[in-house]
Amino acid sequence: MKALLSTDHKVVARAYLWAGLGFLGVGGLMAMLIRWQWGWPGRPVPGLGWALPESGGALTPPAYTGLFTMHGLVMVFFAITPLLIGALGHFVIPLAVGARGMAFPRLSAWSFRVFAAGGALVLVSFGVRLGTASAGWTSYPPLSAAHVFTPGVGQTLVMVGVVCAAVSSFLGAVNFVVTVVRCRAPGMGWGRLPLTVWGLFFTSVLNLLFVPVVAVATGLVLMDRVVGTRFFMAGAAVTGGGGDPLLYQHLFWMFGHPEVYILILPAWGMVGDFVAFFSRKRAHGYRGTVVAMGAVTGLSGLVYAHHLFTSGMAPMMGRAFMTLTLIISLPAMVMFLNWLMTVWRGSVRLTVPMVAALGTMVVFGLGGLSGLALGAVATDIPLHGTMWVVGHFHLTMAAASFLAVFAGLYFWFPKMFGRHLHTGLAMGHVVSSAVLFVAVFGGQLMAGYAGQLRRLYDPYQYTFLKHLLSLNQWTSVAAFALGSAQLLFVVNLVWTLRRGRVAEANPWQVGTLEWTCAPSPPPEDNYAEVPEVLRGPHELSQPEVYERLGRDWIGQAEALPEESKASTPEAQPALGGAG
Amino acid sequence: MDAASGRTLALPEDASAHGHRIDALLATNHRLEGLLALVVLGWLALAVWRFHKARRAAADGGTRRSRTLVLALALVTFGVVDGTLFVRSLGYVDEVLWNFEVPVKHPDTVRLEVNARQWTWEARYAGEDGRFGTADDVVTWSDVRVPVGVPVWVQLSSTDVVHGLALPNFRVKLDAVPGRVNQTWFQAAREGTWEVACYQHCGTSHYKMRGTLTVMAPEAYRAWLREASRQATRAYDAADSAAHWGWAWKEAP
Ligand SMILES: [Cu+2]
Repeated sequence: MKALLSTDHKVVARAYLWAGLGFLGVGGLMAMLIRWQWGWPGRPVPGLGWALPESGGALTPPAYTGLFTMHGLVMVFFAITPLLIGALGHFVIPLAVGARGMAFPRLSAWSFRVFAAGGALVLVSFGVRLGTASAGWTSYPPLSAAHVFTPGVGQTLVMVGVVCAAVSSFLGAVNFVVTVVRCRAPGMGWGRLPLTVWGLFFTSVLNLLFVPVVAVATGLVLMDRVVGTRFFMAGAAVTGGGGDPLLYQHLFWMFGHPEVYILILPAWGMVGDFVAFFSRKRAHGYRGTVVAMGAVTGLSGLVYAHHLFTSGMAPMMGRAFMTLTLIISLPAMVMFLNWLMTVWRGSVRLTVPMVAALGTMVVFGLGGLSGLALGAVATDIPLHGTMWVVGHFHLTMAAASFLAVFAGLYFWFPKMFGRHLHTGLAMGHVVSSAVLFVAVFGGQLMAGYAGQLRRLYDPYQYTFLKHLLSLNQWTSVAAFALGSAQLLFVVNLVWTLRRGRVAEANPWQVGTLEWTCAPSPPPEDNYAEVPEVLRGPHELSQPEVYERLGRDWIGQAEALPEESKASTPEAQPALGGAG
Repeated sequence: MDAASGRTLALPEDASAHGHRIDALLATNHRLEGLLALVVLGWLALAVWRFHKARRAAADGGTRRSRTLVLALALVTFGVVDGTLFVRSLGYVDEVLWNFEVPVKHPDTVRLEVNARQWTWEARYAGEDGRFGTADDVVTWSDVRVPVGVPVWVQLSSTDVVHGLALPNFRVKLDAVPGRVNQTWFQAAREGTWEVACYQHCGTSHYKMRGTLTVMAPEAYRAWLREASRQATRAYDAADSAAHWGWAWKEAP
């Protein structure tokens, strides 16, 4: 209840954290059920008899369509988004820019309330007659728009829930953008922002631009569904003429593709920061990385139609979107190489956040590479709509953003709760998750390359897919192991919140504002005194700091003993672009 | 199960006249990507191992030289990997996929109207008179037949929801969208029976929207069509509106 009333960004962040973790559990359990069905189709799921009494616990085709639809929607809108942006974004941004809170504290509270309402609708949808939504996470009309195809109120409830999530993301994005632009502490120039803040900032820009598009598309489907309009219902037997189903696909992917970057940009930012912190040196090519992230942000809306290469689009469009799609891999490569160069010639400390960041690099790298073939028209055709696509986007969107969420959580947990998560358990969790992610989604890539289409209740209806049964079983076993590995985190969380070690003031020995200017957890107004920022976020291993302070880090707002004297006007230019 | 279709790490067996170009491109692309993954992840592992707890870290965020190196490496990789993919994909698109000159010019091109419906593939042949929408149109359900060695020009639509026509062994995929007629073409390289699949989620029985594609010798195909056309004329029912879903054949896109 406190979470629904408070306007403190840290309380809102924690509310998002619990809600997001809850939905992550729900979405993860649904993934396990889907994997069960692909490994042992039609076989009763142990322990599921209570939920599906008619089939004795076996998944039926309607139950299965509900599962894969809701797995996608829950993970994208109610797990990854709230964890990365709602929880870590709300928590980190004001602290990292040296603000006393969000620009619009009441808007923070409202963004969570609207999100919670959407989440509640989604949960309710599981209990209604005829079940929850079943039109796929993409909700293509006419399937999603007509009661004859998706009967029951579940589809409607869930789509209203998605609109709520979209409104919440939009409110959050307004708040983040204004906070970063207007509320930075004195001296916190754009060139001194941690990369995490940059990632969250670009994400918010994308949310501002593209979330309204999905809200409109979903809203129009809802009108088709509830009021009887025909925006997307052309030529369908049930209605006659009118609108165009393809219009929805354009609107959806105009949001849906940037959404990939919405979910990965904060992860990129964190990787950039963590490899610098734990290589004990400045981020290599900080400005290049920021420009690269900005370029991806700028291009993100211009590549969306590669999702429609097989929709019958005009050849001219196909060629244009193939070109743009391949171009976006260039800034991604620059950024990746900058991370590598940051580790090179560093002094690498394999802390939990660092290992999680390295794991993020690995799965994101593999995910990015497996996506290239989907960006060119000719190679997209055999792979389109197969498990290759599923494996690819799970590596980038699921594995990479999930590992980044946990990197961030392990990093900022002491700041959020004043306690240290158990390092051994955390390390076991992160390493096993990273390895198993590669196993599970690598298995999906293989199945897709061999032609397995996605979303099939029983893939083995097709003779050309029959030989993939054992591959799918192995992949499912890896998925169950991955699911079980999450218990390490749950145990760690419960144990730490009860009796975890109290965190020291600056456990990672880094200089960013939240660790050097505020206690853990920070008080309501964050900073007793608004810090005055003197340097960048990664001032590690600087010889003069060693010499004068005897340590390899210095706070962003901490003056070197001599520096305070030297900050006379003639010494200013030497500091360079102070803001 | 024959050896070719039993290989887990292989694409579905290619039975088309042009699919080998896609397959070769995919193979090249995967080799390049595999190499890239090895180099990059190997470099990462080496960096972590070599600089683990190194006594002194560099104090800078890169020199002009190291930043240029990053940009150069990215540009070279981009040029090689994305470049091959782009050029050869464009070649395939221009010469095969979106080049309807081939089916338009070939004298024996088979024209086929396909209507997707929950959960079946309706296929329509113009019949003996060569025109669509007449009494001798041949209609089949989830049973498509084509002759070997000639272009098959497909016009595709849907009656209810969005479906996706997939001929995995012919490297063909195309959406069936209500209210639109989408077009593609392919050419079978050998006789045999293959599968037609739906790749867009289209409702509960989506997974059962399976059809067969039989590639026949040209004489056998002509004989089959003649006989089917004769039977269709005999069974023609002008009042059966559900049977009249076809359209006047469209121009090439
Ligand atoms: Cu279908």
